[in-house]
Amino acid sequence: MIEATMSNVEVVSGTRLGVSSAAVHNHLELLADMGRDFASSQDLELTLRKAVERITNYVDAEAGALFMLSPCGLKLQCNASVGPVEINGLEIAADQGIVGFCVQKDTGRIVRDVSKDPDFNASVDDETGFKTKSILCAPMSVKGERIGAIELINKRGGDGLFGDDDLYLLQALSFSAGLAVLNARMAAELVEQERVKRELELAAEIQRSLLPIEKDSDFPVKGVNLPARVVSGDFYDFYPLDDGRVAFTLGDVSGKGMNAALMMAKTASLLRCLGKSIKEPGRLLTLVNEEVCETATRGMFVTLVHGIYDPESGYVRLANAGHEPPLVVGKDGSFRAIEAEAPPLGISPALLDEDGFPETEFNLDGGRLFVFTDGVTEGYVSEGVELGIDGLKDLIKASEKDGVESVLNAVRQLIGGDGGRVLRDDVTLIAIDDGVAKHSSTSALGTAEPGATDKPGEKILQLRVTAKANRLRLIRNAVRETAIFCGFSETDTADIVLAVDEACQNVIRHAYGSEGEGDIAIEIRHRPDAMIIILRDFADPVDISKIKPRDLNDLRPGGLGTHLIREVMDAVDFLPPPIDGGNLLRLVKNIRS
Amino acid sequence: MEHAISDVGGALVVAFSGDIDLQTSPDARKALLSLVGKGQPILVDLAGVGYIDSSGVASLVECLQSAKKSGQKMALVSVSDGALRVLQLARLDRVFVICATIDDGVVAVS
Repeated sequence: MIEATMSNVEVVSGTRLGVSSAAVHNHLELLADMGRDFASSQDLELTLRKAVERITNYVDAEAGALFMLSPCGLKLQCNASVGPVEINGLEIAADQGIVGFCVQKDTGRIVRDVSKDPDFNASVDDETGFKTKSILCAPMSVKGERIGAIELINKRGGDGLFGDDDLYLLQALSFSAGLAVLNARMAAELVEQERVKRELELAAEIQRSLLPIEKDSDFPVKGVNLPARVVSGDFYDFYPLDDGRVAFTLGDVSGKGMNAALMMAKTASLLRCLGKSIKEPGRLLTLVNEEVCETATRGMFVTLVHGIYDPESGYVRLANAGHEPPLVVGKDGSFRAIEAEAPPLGISPALLDEDGFPETEFNLDGGRLFVFTDGVTEGYVSEGVELGIDGLKDLIKASEKDGVESVLNAVRQLIGGDGGRVLRDDVTLIAIDDGVAKHSSTSALGTAEPGATDKPGEKILQLRVTAKANRLRLIRNAVRETAIFCGFSETDTADIVLAVDEACQNVIRHAYGSEGEGDIAIEIRHRPDAMIIILRDFADPVDISKIKPRDLNDLRPGGLGTHLIREVMDAVDFLPPPIDGGNLLRLVKNIRS
Repeated sequence: MEHAISDVGGALVVAFSGDIDLQTSPDARKALLSLVGKGQPILVDLAGVGYIDSSGVASLVECLQSAKKSGQKMALVSVSDGALRVLQLARLDRVFVICATIDDGVVAVS
């Protein structure tokens, strides 16, 4: 026992001491040479293969192999081999054999007689016919990160046994090989990161191009979008329609990042393309919803507001699909939230009846409309403090005199920190400014009448009768005579009579319920360019969104009256309800010169 | 509004006169539907109808649908300008068979 130990020590010290200075010089030269190779390598695989070749020859071993640990850490794969048997691509379990032992324990090992070592795995020899006698193995690892191992087999010449100096040399080489592999991996990761970053920037650029181009400063709609990451799941858009009205959209795709951005691109494109020809927000959203439902990734959805604003009249018609309620700010500073009456897009194609997404109609009447994502109200104005809906209202109030652009700027500054703050969520807001006071005067019916300030026209007829079917003929006759008096042709006169009759029918049928009774008042004014008919009932305000023309492909009776009115008149608007209650409908028929 | 029903060349002719509006369309509807199920083609004479509103048009549509179901043909005849205008506005002028005279109508539905 003692002898054996002694002889062991002798062997170790003997070999170490036996290394001549010339040999040390050669060792260092080899290491330095290979270190340079690793550092300057363009093709690491090739360099590693050459390194295994050189060390095998240098140590004078029969064979050599380099094993790499798989990314999952469960397998060792031979990446390079020299010797009589080619074992490139060979896979063994990560804890198998001497190689597995060295990798797992992160230690080098000399096995002088494999037949006496229980860790030796003979299956490779069985397969290849190679006869392994002794093994020298050193792990490749850097700072505890296991990368693999280099193994040399069967030392030629001398006593045929690997010595400690062989092990030290192999360990030094394995370490620099490991370092080279790790460096190469990190470089590849950096390249990949750089590529992904570049791709994201390109995506963001395309995404920004989907936002509307900045219009003239007096364009009534303005927007801001601050992405939380490089790309955004929010979007907004506005564009003029061929009839002078302006379509606007603001949406928020569930989630953030690339998938949300792609979904956003699709939804925004669909809306922009279809929105130019389909001028009914509810119907448009129905179509887009069907498309999104058909193709959306499971679990993704879009909350969205789409509407049409008429700068002439201040009239807004919008549909809200599960989005944050837009805020209508009256000229008097009052706030009204337009609640969503339908689910987000992408939830279900068949939730809604044939009328599509419910619409809300209202007149901005010189006021402003703000549509925004929850990134605005939930955005931090300082660490941990959200702006909140009240904070947004305060911003709006404070900007009353400066126009909506100042609200946009305040959002950029407060939440975005002028680009300096990391955002919690995408921040998007659009604002419509109905601007100049357009609707202010009070007519004989006790209401604000659009256009009344500049051109009220001459009052030709005022009529107030009980809202009953048997008064319709009386109304028709009065309207007919008035239209003729105003100089309308026979056909136009018949059309006007039809429209007023149908409008009165709506009052008679719906305003006062089946039991109730009330009046209907008609006022007709004559301007050089138009005849204006204002109809008033004295019932509870109607839900305007429920009165709209039916799709004419649907020939079922009912709803036809509203269609006829819109068909023959040049403008049909519900006006803001009078202070003392009731509903006001304004019909305009232009006089063509 | 008044109406009269007659038999011309195997077709049932219902001739309306006066305005068909919210007040009178329930009567018009009743008269129209009374012809459904009689096995003969139906002609609706609108020569005397100067005004028809959406409720009157709805009655005509309802009658047309019921007549189709019971295998009867139906046509509108002598439609006044005013009534034709409303049918056009409602895009129903191509849904109904419209004939200039009762005789044309008899030919069209037999």
